[in-house]
Amino acid sequence: MMPRFEIIFPDNLSDALSVLSSGHEHMQIIAGGTDVITGLGQGSNRFKNTKMLIDINNIPEVNGIEIGREKISIGGAVTFSDILQSEFIERSFPLLWKSVSTIGSVQIRNRATIAGNFVNNAPCADTVPVLLVYNATIVIESMSSKREISLYEFLSGPYKTKLSRNEIVTRINIPIPNKNLNGDFYKLGRRRAVAISRITLAVLADVNSESKINEIRIASGAVTPIGTRFFDLEKIAKGKKADDQFFKDMAGKLGEKIIEVTGLRWSSEYKLPVVQQVFYQLLKGIERG
Amino acid sequence: MEVRFKLNGKEVATATASNIRLIDLLRDKFNLTGTKEGCGIGECGACTILMDGRAVNSCLVLAAQANGKEIITIEGIADGDILHPLQRRFLSNGAIQCGYCTPGMVLSASALLSQNPDPSEEDIKEAIAGNLCRCTGYKQIIDAVKETAKELQLKQ
Amino acid sequence: MNKGFSVVGKSVIREDGIDKVTGKAKFADDYKFDGMLHAVMLRINEAHARINSVDFLEIENNRNVFSIISSADIPGAKKVGMIKNDQPIFCDEKVVTPGDVIAMLVGESEDGLRPLLSKIKIDYSPLPVLNDPKKSLDKDAVLIHPEAGSNLIIHHPLRKGDIQKGFDESDEILEQTYTTQLIEHAYIEPEAVIAIPQGISQGVKIIGSIQNPFSCRRIVAAVLNLPLAKVRVQQAHLGGSFGGKDDTMAILAARAAVAALKTGRPVKIRYSREESILESYKRHPYILDYKAGYMKNGKIKAIKIELLADGGAYTSMSPFVTWRSVVQATGPYEIENVHTDVRAVYTNNPYTGAMRGFGSPQPIFAQESLMDEIALRLGMTPDEIRRINGYKVGSVTATGQTLKDHDVNLITVLSTACENTDFAKKWKNNLKKKSVALELSKDSPILKDDQFIRPDDNIKKGIGLALSFRGCSLGAEGMDASAAYISIQNDGSVYLDCGLAENGQGLRTTYTIIASEVLGVSPDKIIYLELDTGITPDSGPTVASRGTIMGGGAVKNAAETVRDKLTALVKEEFKLPADDIISFTDNHVHSESEGTLASFQDVCKIASSQGMNLSAIGWYKGPNVHWDEETGQGDAYFTYVYGCQVAEVSVNISTGEVYIDKITAVHDPGTVINRLGAEGQVFGGVTQGAGYGIFEEVTTDKGFIRELNFDTYTIPTSKDISEIIPIFVEGKESYGPWGAKSLGEPTLELTAAAISNAVCNALGKRLFNLPLNLEEVLLNIKLRPADTKRGSLV
Repeated sequence: MMPRFEIIFPDNLSDALSVLSSGHEHMQIIAGGTDVITGLGQGSNRFKNTKMLIDINNIPEVNGIEIGREKISIGGAVTFSDILQSEFIERSFPLLWKSVSTIGSVQIRNRATIAGNFVNNAPCADTVPVLLVYNATIVIESMSSKREISLYEFLSGPYKTKLSRNEIVTRINIPIPNKNLNGDFYKLGRRRAVAISRITLAVLADVNSESKINEIRIASGAVTPIGTRFFDLEKIAKGKKADDQFFKDMAGKLGEKIIEVTGLRWSSEYKLPVVQQVFYQLLKGIERG
Repeated sequence: MEVRFKLNGKEVATATASNIRLIDLLRDKFNLTGTKEGCGIGECGACTILMDGRAVNSCLVLAAQANGKEIITIEGIADGDILHPLQRRFLSNGAIQCGYCTPGMVLSASALLSQNPDPSEEDIKEAIAGNLCRCTGYKQIIDAVKETAKELQLKQ
Repeated sequence: MNKGFSVVGKSVIREDGIDKVTGKAKFADDYKFDGMLHAVMLRINEAHARINSVDFLEIENNRNVFSIISSADIPGAKKVGMIKNDQPIFCDEKVVTPGDVIAMLVGESEDGLRPLLSKIKIDYSPLPVLNDPKKSLDKDAVLIHPEAGSNLIIHHPLRKGDIQKGFDESDEILEQTYTTQLIEHAYIEPEAVIAIPQGISQGVKIIGSIQNPFSCRRIVAAVLNLPLAKVRVQQAHLGGSFGGKDDTMAILAARAAVAALKTGRPVKIRYSREESILESYKRHPYILDYKAGYMKNGKIKAIKIELLADGGAYTSMSPFVTWRSVVQATGPYEIENVHTDVRAVYTNNPYTGAMRGFGSPQPIFAQESLMDEIALRLGMTPDEIRRINGYKVGSVTATGQTLKDHDVNLITVLSTACENTDFAKKWKNNLKKKSVALELSKDSPILKDDQFIRPDDNIKKGIGLALSFRGCSLGAEGMDASAAYISIQNDGSVYLDCGLAENGQGLRTTYTIIASEVLGVSPDKIIYLELDTGITPDSGPTVASRGTIMGGGAVKNAAETVRDKLTALVKEEFKLPADDIISFTDNHVHSESEGTLASFQDVCKIASSQGMNLSAIGWYKGPNVHWDEETGQGDAYFTYVYGCQVAEVSVNISTGEVYIDKITAVHDPGTVINRLGAEGQVFGGVTQGAGYGIFEEVTTDKGFIRELNFDTYTIPTSKDISEIIPIFVEGKESYGPWGAKSLGEPTLELTAAAISNAVCNALGKRLFNLPLNLEEVLLNIKLRPADTKRGSLV
């Protein structure tokens, strides 16, 4: 059952920000609504006191995908389906395209937005590990300020971020990766479609012709409290030879790191060995650059 | 508040509350009960409608968000008394059992065919993966969509 | 098989298809009435508690509350049940499972009522919670229904031969324990019902998503203390049931009816998915202990079986569900010495009842796993061991029944399935490729170097089969008869109705085909009437895959009654010799001597002008069966069907994922009447069976369900099964319309067992516990969260 609330449809950013800055509590931004409307309907604590919804779909500043020379900029209200329709993203950000293609169903992707995915920040949010390895930054605006921070910094805990009550995520900026970075996205669910992720992994690596790792970026979802990067592992890997033994060592280290961050949970007995196994297999894909 | 939108080809305007979902507006106000509720959380697809040509779960859209949009429900997919080719193929392939998922299934398939006139079997499965069916095992539905695609291609 | 039919066995478009594909078909929640009120349920967050008092004071005068309905408002039976009256309509004294409803608020809108529920003060004392069925019969176990004296719902013993002697004479003994899980029907339409008061003299009318209008009527009438005739139940289009919209719907209908009579206004109850999963009954989880004694040549000498079914909080259909288990628990194998005990017990878990398969998928999983294990130990292929032991004509079943008077096609379906899949060759090949199943070390969760699997080695192929026999219709569960009504209009169009309710599977189309075949009129001339208990004769429930064999028999009888009258008429009218053969085809009536005589329409016109009654009630009564409760011996069912399914799977040995590449489903349903419908039954049944096999599970924590919606209760999507091949072997049968029997349940009952055998073939290790989800396949364990909390709702 839905609580009572108001809904407004500002058609420009400053109107939206001005409403947000008015200081009223319990305002909630809505774009796709796939988390907000279900949350409202199910009486989720995060949404149950909502008094006003601000629908940002009509705001030009948060729409559209802009392709620049060094980065792309995706609007906060851009849907997953919009992303799948972008050939540029499919070509230049294959991990992002792949992760988006595994999310929910067509109906969900037609509504849900990429910004909503990380603003909701479920532990299993599928695009988070991918955006993390692409070094995505996000533009956050309020009436009085505009700041750009890394997504990594933005995510603070399960279903928690550093977004303030008076702010909107207007853009997601992703630097176009250097051509030598290759990698893959992996998702494990309980069935083949419309599945909540049990494990997600994203790896991007630059391996030279002598199999030396110039750079590697590693992130996971659903195995840690929130999607996260593994900078320690990345440092260790830099300069090392990308061979089978090293991948096994890395996989074991990932397992140790996950225990360190997450502790042992009810699902660990399954997830820990499997995440090492699939991480190893993902690394095998970058063996020869 | 008032919302105006195009519903099955006709401009409509109606008063609604902000916390009313589009599915409720369609069923209660417009008596378009072909749109079904199965889960209320966007998992089953029984409430699928077309919004500006895209398949969406009407349980996850607020009525107010339909303002200015073009909405097509199962009642608006046929051309008067002439069934949509998908509807005919659903019948001839036995793609219907209890029929509760059928409206959503037809609309998801129609959105697919308007975007991709020559879908592979995988494309079809992906297009209806958000429409749960407990009776048919999907096979005859997939066949119906395949045959419709062929029929529509021949026409062009 | 072509028997010279013109409509039977052909692809015919569903008679309700156009309404369904255009969205016009009205399901229960699509009905609205002037002045209609809505009702919401009051529950507490306890699985077992004594209710001391319920205080409505704070909401009594709230403007959104039109009426408060509780047990005190019930004029008749306060407890009901399909078999035993142990389920309260309102639990005002005690709740025994979390779905229990204490009272109901009625008002203009659900939204107005829901916030008021938390303002009702309920004083209750929690009682110890019993969740483990293995502890139900312990001396110190808390009694769920103390008046029953024990937590035992039912015990079905079966004794044949001398079990000890059988074991003594066996070369080898194998003992195994298997378990199966609680699952949800997951019909896509949640429950909805409306009760409409009909004035003091007329009682009440019920419209709802009701599987069995007649059993619903019986319960509503008992609760209202009204004669049956004053409760009219009309079935709305039913959005799936699979056995699941029986007890729950009868109780919802009774609640709505009590409220309708109290308020004098129509009252609707509609459930959200969460409420549906919370309150509705489910499939029984079983613990299955099997001990088999067998000879080196493969012959099974003796089998001792102990099955324990968790009935949950109420009796529901447990006695009948477990009765089918006791009859079929050995599988389709002739075994001299059998000793079976099947028990169902009470717990505080969600209650369990009828679900497609009805006590057969559980023992089939166990017995078919066991057969494969014995084959492996003896160095035989799975089909070899089954050929040795499988039923043939004249075989005697575990209940002492001799199989005769029909094609005992067990070995035929087995051979057909094996030939179509190249079974034995593939099975042996897969076995040779020993997989390196991940063995985890207990002391360190970090993988050792030799435990890593190269990406190319992830996928192992497996093939497995399962075989079953299944008794048709109710068997010795109860009286077995059905009725149909036919009325031919003077223009040759036809009204048809049958007391067996459409469940979405296409019964009405099957009946239309049967009437069409008999009368020679095209199916579009036959108008199928809505089932209304006020008009249609009681035909028992649509259960036990009895729709075609029983209802079809009644429809055929009705149509033939009228056709015989028309035959006599045309002979007289056209002055034909008495021994002339009259046939009805292509909307015309023909004679062997004269050729086409007249159109069907013209013949009906003549009949009408002569004042002939062209309506009839058809009847079909199953032959007698008998059963001895003490020994479990008797002719349990009057006939049987046979099926064999072969599953081909890909198992990912790194993650435990099972992907179903192909299921070949070979069934002998007797004569196929409705081709599209029959194939649809196979596709749908196999898909449900696959969900049961690999991921569906309702898990509970102290009786509370974790998977309350389709995000966590995952049923198969369009992408989860690659290919299903239906093959029909149409055996001869003397019962049913032209020898048509049963298909709906056989299609489902085999799939999980076949998949499990295939997974075993791929992995080289056996799995004993359904479902074969990620954790089970990889680690042979079930992992559960510590509680029922959802992160997203915090």
